[in-house]
Amino acid sequence: MKRSAKIAIIFFGYFLIALILLTNNLVPQQEVVLKITEGVPAISLALPKFIIHSDNNECQQAASEIYEVLSADLKYSRVFQLLPQSYYSYIRPLDPKNIFFKDWESIQARVLVVGEISGNSENLIFEAKLYDVRSAKFIVGRKYQGNQASRREMAHRLANEIMKAFGEKPIFTSKIVFVSDRDGNDELYLMDYDGANQIRLTFNRVRDYMPAIAPDAQKIAFTSYRETVAGLYLMDLTKKKIIPISTNGTNFAAAFSPDGKKLAFCSTMDGNAEIYVATLGENGIQSVKRLTFNEAIDTAPCFSPTGREIAFVSDRGGTPQIYIMDAEGSNVRRVSFGGTYHDAPAWSPDGERIVYVSRLDNIFDLYVLNLRTNQIIKLTESNARHESPCWSPDGRHIVFSSNLSGQIQIFSIDYDGTNLRRLTSQGNNKLPDWSN
Amino acid sequence: MKKRSLVFIVLILTTIFFSACKPKVKQVPPTPPPQVKEQPKVEKVEPPKETAKRPLTEEEIFMSQSLEEANKAGYLKMIHFDFDKYNIRDDMKPILAQNAAWLKKFQSVKILIEGHCDERGTEEYNLALGERRAKSTFDYLVSLGISPDRMKIISYGKSQPLDPGHNEEAWAKNRRAQFTIIEK
Repeated sequence: MKRSAKIAIIFFGYFLIALILLTNNLVPQQEVVLKITEGVPAISLALPKFIIHSDNNECQQAASEIYEVLSADLKYSRVFQLLPQSYYSYIRPLDPKNIFFKDWESIQARVLVVGEISGNSENLIFEAKLYDVRSAKFIVGRKYQGNQASRREMAHRLANEIMKAFGEKPIFTSKIVFVSDRDGNDELYLMDYDGANQIRLTFNRVRDYMPAIAPDAQKIAFTSYRETVAGLYLMDLTKKKIIPISTNGTNFAAAFSPDGKKLAFCSTMDGNAEIYVATLGENGIQSVKRLTFNEAIDTAPCFSPTGREIAFVSDRGGTPQIYIMDAEGSNVRRVSFGGTYHDAPAWSPDGERIVYVSRLDNIFDLYVLNLRTNQIIKLTESNARHESPCWSPDGRHIVFSSNLSGQIQIFSIDYDGTNLRRLTSQGNNKLPDWSN
Repeated sequence: MKKRSLVFIVLILTTIFFSACKPKVKQVPPTPPPQVKEQPKVEKVEPPKETAKRPLTEEEIFMSQSLEEANKAGYLKMIHFDFDKYNIRDDMKPILAQNAAWLKKFQSVKILIEGHCDERGTEEYNLALGERRAKSTFDYLVSLGISPDRMKIISYGKSQPLDPGHNEEAWAKNRRAQFTIIEK
């Protein structure tokens, strides 16, 4: 009975998808974006404890750390739902050489991850296989070799593979760049998506501010207050070198294009805050083009995921509002309404939504504008100042800074306003930007 | 008898010995008087100082100071702005007039005008607003006859609050344009 009902649901699902595809084909020039994962129950995933082929104590510790990190990644994904540990006691213990898939199906697992660990702290081997339970088929497998320091990385990489196997954008090895004053003055720092491995990037006595990370996480554009100029600089993390981009006037609010070849930023080099786009070459910038020409403040540019449009902030209408223009500067239209102070737009990776900050009295909350439906959702309901939002590469999470807990810290929240979590704790931390 | 005379001699000897020691202790006090004599000499040095103060003009004091000292001395007074605004308030115009007069007196001085905001604006927009505040201050000083070549502007947004508080008083203090002497 149950099975036939499930089949009926699946068929109905296929019918719906076909219908959506059909109706989309009827309307030309509309991008087909199917978001069937949102609102659909997460895939139930069984992640039994890893099998350890060693008596080595360090190996046991590694197994538990990798397990914890992998579980946290999958829980955070919003794609998978981990089965409760207690369910595993109802069935026969796992034998990786002879898996009883019927057992796993009986506890409602759709996907099974089997992990095995061997070696020692210096030469750790982690092998994992992903199975589809119902069809009893192997989906994907990976073997990682590393040492004690690479435990988290192994877990993140496997989590990425699991996401990819289900057609999802992997996010677990992505990085977040931010500003912290934990060591005295504002400097740039980099951390993993989950707040682990926070490392310092700049070491000087001047203020380094408002960083933007390139999609490949290899370059960081940032504002640096050197002598009497707030210039825009580009740091190459692989070549360990910093080059100036613009050192006339005050330069800030940099944003990379999706292909990483262009850099939009705000500058007062011609006297007023205007938006410029620098084309990046092998050894620095090839050209700089001015996009806005009016007496108002134009700032906070952000490329659309196609790179064809730029969202930005302007007070040309009297108060700061969100506008969109073509990447060449033409076809400007206002998209934010209903408030007197909107700033810091960030375009979602699917191109459909823009998250921004809205100020009401002394409170800044995050709002999401759906460009397709023109619907606005209030994402946060706080008594604080939430600022500088930025999407995760898969568009399911948003990182931002807030004084929610007193000092300014970096938080992440899901696209639907749930799952608020704090990523930093030392000093004041702000202006986060998430790599691809 | 012999014993008594011996005790007597010892007694005399010890008294002589101690009396011989005492003068040595007494010899120490005579040394302080020269020290007392030296002190008046120090006092005599002061009169020339007083005479030196008179010829030192405001200009000479300023020129003798390092840039850091000059900036600490606060020759140029900061001005404040209204919430979300960058226009020069009427009550701030006399302060800028004073600053302009000072700048006219010290023609070699070059300054940096820093624009600052309170925490009630967003990071991105505040940097532009701070720049606007510095620019309107710059323009006002130009209108008072200060050469634009002598002034540079920069914006710090809300990254450098003067008062770390979170109330109207602190915000009013933090919305400001302040001046730094960068050359003299």
